[in-house]
Amino acid sequence: MNDPVKIKIEHLFFSYRDRFVLRDANLRIAENTITAIIGPSGIGKSTFLMTLNRLWETIPGTKLQGRIEIKFQGQFQEIHNRNYPLTTLRRSVGMVFQTPNPLPMNIFGNVSFPLKLAGFRQKSKMADRVEQALKRAYLWDEVKDRLNEDALLLSGGQQQRLCIARALILEPEILLLDEPTSSLDPKAGAVIEELLVNLKNSCTLLIVSHYQDQVQRVADTVFELAEGKFVPVDFRQY
Amino acid sequence: MSRCMERILIVFCWICGLVLLAAIATIFGYLLYQGLGTVNLRLIFGNTSPVDALLLRKHVFAGLFPAMVGTLAVVTLSVGFAIPVGIASGVYMAEYARGGVKWVLGFCFDILAGVPSIVIGLFGFALAIFLHKHFSAGIYPSLFISSLSLAVLVLPYIIRSTQFALENLPAETRLIAVALGATKLQNIVYVLIPKSLSGIFSGVILAIGRCTEDTAVILLTGAVAFAGVPKSLFVQYEALPFYIYYISSQYANQQELSSGYGASIILLMICALLFFVASMTQKGVTYRALYRA
Repeated sequence: MNDPVKIKIEHLFFSYRDRFVLRDANLRIAENTITAIIGPSGIGKSTFLMTLNRLWETIPGTKLQGRIEIKFQGQFQEIHNRNYPLTTLRRSVGMVFQTPNPLPMNIFGNVSFPLKLAGFRQKSKMADRVEQALKRAYLWDEVKDRLNEDALLLSGGQQQRLCIARALILEPEILLLDEPTSSLDPKAGAVIEELLVNLKNSCTLLIVSHYQDQVQRVADTVFELAEGKFVPVDFRQY
Repeated sequence: MSRCMERILIVFCWICGLVLLAAIATIFGYLLYQGLGTVNLRLIFGNTSPVDALLLRKHVFAGLFPAMVGTLAVVTLSVGFAIPVGIASGVYMAEYARGGVKWVLGFCFDILAGVPSIVIGLFGFALAIFLHKHFSAGIYPSLFISSLSLAVLVLPYIIRSTQFALENLPAETRLIAVALGATKLQNIVYVLIPKSLSGIFSGVILAIGRCTEDTAVILLTGAVAFAGVPKSLFVQYEALPFYIYYISSQYANQQELSSGYGASIILLMICALLFFVASMTQKGVTYRALYRA
C-alpha cells in the first residue's frame, strides 16, 4: 500500500521576534484530505501555513528549526534543504490568503500570472489551462465571456475564487488556505466550501478557520494549535 | 472649548489655503498682465518665418525659439539620464540595501538633495574642465554637461520617491506573487514597481519642474545668451530660465523687459506641457505594466 502521509512535521520550532509560535510541534497530514487548524487569533496559525511554502523567510525577525518533509511525486523532500529550489516548492504548494488579493489586471491576466512567472510561453495552451483552473474554482461560467475585464470589478466571493483558480493553475499538490471565507458573506462562503471538498481528489488541503461549523462541514481532521503544539480535536464532539 | 478650538483650526486652515491660492493667482496674474501682450509669433521667431525656423532652414536671431528648444532638450536629456539611475537606486534602497549601508546611502541622498544648485553647477563646470584636459579638447561646458549636472541635481527626488513608494506597499502585496512562485526580481518587476508607479511619477514630476526652472546649474555649465538652436550635444545652447535671468538683470528698455515676462509665460507653458506628457506617460505605463494579459 502507498504511504498515505503527505506532510511530515517533526520537532518544529518557530519563533517570531523571540516569541515562540511553535515549540517542538509534530504533525502528520494524510494525502487528499482537508485538515483544519483551529485556535484563538494571534496564536500563529497563519504563520504556521507560511512555514509550509517557506513564505516565512520573507518576514523579518523569524527563526525556524526542525524538519518539514513533503511528498512530491511520491518522494519525500525536506523542504528547507538548500538544494531544493524555492520556486519549485512554491509552485507545488499553493496558497490563498484571508482577503482576496487579485492583481490589478484583467481576469485572464490574473489566472495566467503564475504561468508567466514560470516562463510558460505557448498562448493557446495557456488559454486551456486558464479555462481548466477557472472551472476547478467554480468560476468559469460566471466569467467566461469577460476574461478581459478588470478582476477588481468582480464581487468578493468571485475574487476569492479567482485567487483559488490562480493558485490552482500550476496544479499544486498542496493548497494552503488562510481563513478563505472570513471576509465573505455566508452564501459566497458556502460556494467556496463546496469547491474545497471537491478539490480533495487532486490536492491535499490545509485550512485555517475560525468557524466551528465550517470546520465541521469540510474538514476530515482537525488540530488545535495550543502552546506551540498541535492537539488533535475530535470535532464530532463539538 | 474643544469645539471652539476646532472651529478656529478650520478657519486657520481655510486662511492658509486662501493665502496660497492668492499667491499663485497674483504670480500668474502679474505675469499675464505684464507679458501677455508680448507673447506672439514674433516673440518666438523674431523676423524669421515660423516654417523656416521650425524646419531649421534659417537661424532665429531676435526670438525665443532657440531658447525653447534648448530648454526642452536639456530637460528631456536630464530627466532621461536621471530616471533609469534614480529608479534603479530607489529599488536597490527599498529592496536590497539593509542596515548600515542603507543608512549611509540614505544620508548621502539627503545631503545631495540639500546641496545648493550653484554648487552642483560648479561641479558640472569642474567636470567639464577635467574632461577637457584629460579626455578630449572638444569637451567644454555644453548641453551634455548641463544635462548631466541637472540629472545629479534631481536624482535624490527620484531615488527617494521610488524608495518610499516601494517601502509603503502593504506587506500582503509583497506576498502575492512570491506565494505563486515568483523570484524576488519577478516580484519587483511585475508587482512592486507597477504598484508604486504613481509614487515614482510624483518624483519624476518634481524632477521635471526642477530641471525646467533651474538657472544656477546651466549658468555655469553651458547656457549662453546667444547660440541658436543646438545641433549637437556638445555645443553651448540657449535656455529660457537663463534668458529670463539675463533680461531681468540687464534690460535696456521697457520692451526688452516685457519680452522677459513673455519668456516667463512660455516657460510656464512648457512646464505644463511636460507635466501633461509625464502624466500621460504614467497612465500609458501603468496600463502596459498591469493590464496586458
